[in-house]
Amino acid sequence: MKSAAKDKRPAGQKQYYRRKKVCKFCVERIDSINYKDVKLLSQFVPERAKIMPRRISGVCSQHQRQLNDAIKKARNIALLPFSTE
Amino acid sequence: MRSYEIMFIVNPGVPEEEIDIINTQLEGIITSGGGSVEKIEKMGKRCLAYEVDKHREGFYVLVVATANGDIIRECERRLRVMDQVIKYITVRTDEDARRLEKIKAYRQKRAARRGSGRKAAPVESVEEAMQ
Repeated sequence: MKSAAKDKRPAGQKQYYRRKKVCKFCVERIDSINYKDVKLLSQFVPERAKIMPRRISGVCSQHQRQLNDAIKKARNIALLPFSTE
Repeated sequence: MRSYEIMFIVNPGVPEEEIDIINTQLEGIITSGGGSVEKIEKMGKRCLAYEVDKHREGFYVLVVATANGDIIRECERRLRVMDQVIKYITVRTDEDARRLEKIKAYRQKRAARRGSGRKAAPVESVEEAMQ
């Protein structure tokens, strides 16, 4: 009785189908993430200038690591901001 | 010998001839130390992402060179001393280039295998080659 109730979805609750996130760099075959490519990097730096987490952008772990390095280098040479006011 | 990229920002008020002087100086240091300069690119004036020494703009210059660590250290020391240069960064690029080469070779090998085989090879991720 109890387990059957557990399986049942409460009436009225919407079902969400979350689209599977894919890594942009894997899909587009971008091998090298260069720190000079501000246009590419700024896609992963929201307005607060923090690095976008993987769980939101869907970037795979290898590419996220390279992306992190590139963004930090770009920040050092004032291509990207450390923070906004 | 390793390949490096040196990027530096010059004060935007400095005339372009002076930037050329800095470039020739750097080239002189690198070539006299036994290295070679592949290219010197003046990337032009652009806005800085944050204020550096009260500057909101800067003139970016990129130097790609193959040299020893000592020569690069000397270049960095020179850049630090120059008043016109407000910021610089040195990045080692040979490791990255080697990794790219590996990926390229792997892709070619796979493409060749797929071309000769009767059936298409199962799609694997490129990430395996990167590790």
